[in-house]
Amino acid sequence: MTARTCTCILRLGGSLLSGARGTVHTVYRHPGARASVAGFQCIRTIKNSTWWDEHLTEDNAQFMRRSVSEEYKQLTSDRLNPLKDEPWPRHEWVEQSRRVGLVALKLGMMPIWTKSGDRHVVTMVQVLDCHVIKHIPKEEYDGRTAALVVGGKNISPFHKADETLEIFRNAGVPPKQKLTTFRVTDNAVIKPGTPLYAAHFRPGQYVDVTAKTIGKGFQGVMKRWGFSGQPASHGQTKTHRRPGSLGPGGDPAKVFKGTKMPGRMGNVYNTEFGLKVWRVNTKDNILYVNGSVPGHRNCLVKVRDTILPQRLEKNRNPPFPTFFADGEEELPEDLYDENVFQFVEPIPE
Amino acid sequence: MAACSRRAGGVLSSVRILRNLQHQDERLFSTSLARHAASSGGQPPKFVPPTKPVIKSQSQASLRKFLSPEFIPPRQRTNPIKFAIERKDMIRRCKVLNIPEFYVGSILSVTMSDPHAAGKTNRFVGICIQRSGKGLGATFILRNVVDGQGVEICYELYSPRIRSIEVLKLEKRLDDNLMYLRDALPDYSTFDFEMKPVHISPNQDVPVNPLKVKMKPRPWSKRWDRPKFNIKGIRFDLYVTPEQMEHAQKWAQPWQEYDMLKEYDTSALEEKIYQEVQAELRK
Repeated sequence: MTARTCTCILRLGGSLLSGARGTVHTVYRHPGARASVAGFQCIRTIKNSTWWDEHLTEDNAQFMRRSVSEEYKQLTSDRLNPLKDEPWPRHEWVEQSRRVGLVALKLGMMPIWTKSGDRHVVTMVQVLDCHVIKHIPKEEYDGRTAALVVGGKNISPFHKADETLEIFRNAGVPPKQKLTTFRVTDNAVIKPGTPLYAAHFRPGQYVDVTAKTIGKGFQGVMKRWGFSGQPASHGQTKTHRRPGSLGPGGDPAKVFKGTKMPGRMGNVYNTEFGLKVWRVNTKDNILYVNGSVPGHRNCLVKVRDTILPQRLEKNRNPPFPTFFADGEEELPEDLYDENVFQFVEPIPE
Repeated sequence: MAACSRRAGGVLSSVRILRNLQHQDERLFSTSLARHAASSGGQPPKFVPPTKPVIKSQSQASLRKFLSPEFIPPRQRTNPIKFAIERKDMIRRCKVLNIPEFYVGSILSVTMSDPHAAGKTNRFVGICIQRSGKGLGATFILRNVVDGQGVEICYELYSPRIRSIEVLKLEKRLDDNLMYLRDALPDYSTFDFEMKPVHISPNQDVPVNPLKVKMKPRPWSKRWDRPKFNIKGIRFDLYVTPEQMEHAQKWAQPWQEYDMLKEYDTSALEEKIYQEVQAELRK
């Protein structure tokens, strides 16, 4: 927010300059430099007064907020209209093709029951304002595959730099909180600006979910690596949760690289592989994914088709390249896996 | 947390009392109005035959206003849409399975489908000693003593294996959690499987059983005399000396109930959800 800059300028000139620049300066005079003619000055610059804070009255700010939300709605609805401009060609699904994924919001967990009465837990993730932002062709990306940048969850544009917003302006969609890149095959390329929905995945499919895990701070080896520690009693002195030996002594005469030691835990990207999709809500765009998912509640996660070779069999013939809302496919509100117990059913025997 | 829940419980109970008062008022008002109208003319009141008694079964909705506690979302920073969606599923289940009004301390019988049992069903009778969980994952624990052996079964309210839940005796106890029955004499948690359902009128208030239980000798599984449990249903005078009771107050946290951040007043939320659930169930 505030940066203290120590500049060596004449007092007179300094005050003149600060006045001319029109920025807020607080002038600190060094007590020792009072006697000297050309002393040191500490100029503390407050940089948090942006254009937004400085030049807008409360009414103006409200008007801007309102107009921007209308603009977002307009942008989003424009994207639903297929007649606006030429759509990109759509291809059929073939073996080995990789589709784009989604950015979704983690809502929380709930139980789900199968028809035999077994209980499973699922994580609910909501696909919120998910759009394709940018297409990176093969040559520009890494020479092997093309990539699609996907963004999720609209945010306010007012406190963002103009350069950050440019990518969204090019796609014609509201600015997003999170951007992720998906490697796709050439037949699965989607035009930037296309909205993505939860119906992109179908019940019975398997997905990988990537997110940043919950940060645990600096932790010891017992929590971080699951070491056993030492007994609580039986003559232990100051040794209960310590790592013990770090390895052999004289021969290597060093600690090997990668030795498990205390340190920062969590707050790193992690992927859960091969999670089954039990149920999809097409109205609220909610995916019910088996088990737990990295990250805290309300965090944005990245969901893609699984890469586990054992599960590829289940992912055949998905909506390709994605589910289009304007398509002829009419979906019910809830899609269930065949094993899931639906509450509207009568009580099973 | 304990203080918070206690407070919330206090608020809820006071709200309930208010509501019940209103109900009683309404009834009084309606009956007395009819009588006044009859006797106001000066003539002897015309004989009105008493209405035929209607035997109401448990399945009929009671006139008490009751919202199952798992409908009230916990206080946390979760997107409310999560609870709304869960609630939709819960209501769907409520339409198929009657989940009756019951409290901790009520005696229930639960029939579950069990593929390994002889008749494919399994019936258990016991006292509800705890209700926990929010949303679809709500559970309750039934306790009984079978052949001298204490048995507790934790049931999921919304599990499809549950065939029926029947309230044999609807009552409350002095506490919201009866886990101390594990340390009480087994007579207090012994119930007959062939027990006849006790009927109480749907207009009537849920009776509170002021029973104070006798315990097995100490040590107990938990120090129930500690103030954090705030147990009222134990005869402490038989097992704990006044000095020990005073000593237990060392762990009291009397400031907790003044912690405004721990206050969670659900009355407005409860009312809103109640209206929503009733509207859905009537459909």
